[in-house]
Amino acid sequence: MDKPSRLIDREPHDGSSWLEYLEVVGVIALVTVAGWFSKLDYHALGQIYLLAVVLLAVRVGRWPVLFSAIVSAVTWNFLFIPPRWSLTILNFNDTMLLLSYLAVALMAGQFTARIRAQERYAHLRERQATALFHLTRALAGARTLDEAVEAALRQADGLFKARTALLIADDGVLQSHPAGSFQLDETDRRVSEWVQRHGREAGRFTDEQVAAEALHLPLLRSDVGLGVLAIRLPAEVTRLAADQWELMEGFAAQIALLVEREQLRAASEREKFFAESTRLQRALLDSVSHELKTPLAVLRSAGDKLHTEDAAKRSALTAEMRTATRRLDHLVANLLNQSRLESGALSVRPDWCEVRDILNAARRAMGEALNDRPLTISVPEDMPLLWGDEPLLEQVVANLLSNAVRHTPPATEICVSAGRTSTEGKEQVFIRVADRGPGIPPELRENLFEKFHRYRETRPGGLGLGLSIVRGFVRAHQGEVVAENHPGGGACFTVFLPHAWPAEIPADEL
Amino acid sequence: MSFEPARAEILVIDDEVQIRRLLRLTLEDAGYQVREAESGWAGLQSAAAKAPDAVILDLGLPDLPGLEVLARLRKESALPVLILSVFGQEGSKIAGLDAGADDYLTKPFSDGELLARLRALLRRVKPAVAANRFTIGPIAVDIARRRVTHHGRTVKLTSMEYALLQMFITHRDKALTHRQILRELWGPKAEGQTHYLRTYMMRLRRKLEDEPDSPQYFQTESGIGYRFVTEP
Repeated sequence: MDKPSRLIDREPHDGSSWLEYLEVVGVIALVTVAGWFSKLDYHALGQIYLLAVVLLAVRVGRWPVLFSAIVSAVTWNFLFIPPRWSLTILNFNDTMLLLSYLAVALMAGQFTARIRAQERYAHLRERQATALFHLTRALAGARTLDEAVEAALRQADGLFKARTALLIADDGVLQSHPAGSFQLDETDRRVSEWVQRHGREAGRFTDEQVAAEALHLPLLRSDVGLGVLAIRLPAEVTRLAADQWELMEGFAAQIALLVEREQLRAASEREKFFAESTRLQRALLDSVSHELKTPLAVLRSAGDKLHTEDAAKRSALTAEMRTATRRLDHLVANLLNQSRLESGALSVRPDWCEVRDILNAARRAMGEALNDRPLTISVPEDMPLLWGDEPLLEQVVANLLSNAVRHTPPATEICVSAGRTSTEGKEQVFIRVADRGPGIPPELRENLFEKFHRYRETRPGGLGLGLSIVRGFVRAHQGEVVAENHPGGGACFTVFLPHAWPAEIPADEL
Repeated sequence: MSFEPARAEILVIDDEVQIRRLLRLTLEDAGYQVREAESGWAGLQSAAAKAPDAVILDLGLPDLPGLEVLARLRKESALPVLILSVFGQEGSKIAGLDAGADDYLTKPFSDGELLARLRALLRRVKPAVAANRFTIGPIAVDIARRRVTHHGRTVKLTSMEYALLQMFITHRDKALTHRQILRELWGPKAEGQTHYLRTYMMRLRRKLEDEPDSPQYFQTESGIGYRFVTEP
């Protein structure tokens, strides 16, 4: 891109302050006083004045140096070159001396000023390189796009003493990034959109849309506009030097790179997510069809045999059919629950519940599955009411019971208990389902409550949704479920729920 | 299983033909007459043409929401309505009961449950408690004298406990929502105070159940309310 309007070299440093003039006056006064009281002749003193001017040239700017050259020449002439106390010079030699003094002093001033300007330029270059280096380092250290943008914009703010705003194109619409340090007004927004459309810079310091207060740079990656960087420089800055342009463009390029990287990352994340959800879907379909087939096969075959005259056999067949339908029912309920959890459609309707009712209902829902199990239920006499959704908590307990039945040998004991507990000053009620089975294998502990995390893939019964639903429902109650192995053997699942006391019942209502 | 002696006529409103067929089989086996309707509008028309003795109404109809059908039925008459819902529809069950349905069943249900519900429903049309005495299992209530015994031993009930028991006897075998009970016993302002009810039920069970922790008669309908079961 050509940029004729901005190849204006910045004036070398000319902000000489009055302090520098003061320094000049001081140094010349010092030399003058020293010369006055010394026995040096005026030739030698001239050399010393010259030395002072050259030394000053190293320290102060161009104009103070010029000033020092003239002041020292006048002083020297007035006080030391005969006749003293006069600006007239008698001698041609002395005139030449004074003129060559002035020439040397002025040249020395110019040369040193130029050397210093170059030095400053080199310094500026170095600062630019450092700034870009800091930027890339900050970007490399950022973990997210937001962090990186924040870092980049703050660097830009500091470097240009400016305010910056970033607009990222999202489906063709420019969205303000929250890390920006100023809000674009209506005009600036329009300019940004212009920049996004045309892929060229615009706004202040450019030839386009000059009404804007900020300078707008496009974020381009292989000619695709990813967004716009808007920089609002202080009002006293009237021109931008080429090096500043380069630096700003460097920043814009870095940020463009960043945005592109983030977009690529997001795209690959999306792809991974889709792959993962496809995998989960397949796992679900596999296990659903597997889980459906068994009870369906039972129903079909038992249905075919129902014609039998043998009453005992018939009642056995209907019992099988009942078990199969209960299993299907459980399966459908869990699928529905999981989808309610995942779609966010789960609505918890809490009310005061009786824990004993919940445990009884869960046990009833289990049906014959618990027939051969010694089951003890212990609830303390003074168990308080529970604030929760009765049907959901019932599902929680039923799923824990079903889990216990599935993972323990037949006829092993299952203990259900409830109570009130206080942990870290927090009042909680708990419901615990403990079994006497082999316990939870350590390798399963971590992902126990994840869906489809089944113990032994081939084992019949269960979709691997039960515990995931337990956790989902409990969390919907602001509670937590904890799995541990009993010291005496067996797994133990405890559901903790926040405890509250119902309002006192007024005595006249009792 | 006892049969209703009269040939009561039941109107089944359900869009699933298989459910209708099975209900017909079950109900006719139990001695009822069955009329079918496959949509909400058809059901309403059928009921308007000739009132059945009871209606079995599916909540998930394609043409008209079940609750809407219920409301229209209720505008015309007080005939007993049993609503059928599926798992996960707790909200509409409660809404249906509060809107005047007499009872509900969740699919899938067993024949036993269905017939027990229907019997209770039809019984309610007749005078509630004819005799002065009401006896169920170990519980005996002398209504005239407000005396309650459990296994022959006199049980002291507070007036509120007695009122609760009386409500259960009147609506025996029928699901009562928390709201219905609270409104009747404590008045409309107590409708959200479920903990009153929980506390009373616990006391009533402790006084009248053999095993209060797993009650036989005063059963909880999860998320809905209670049911006084006379044939556990």
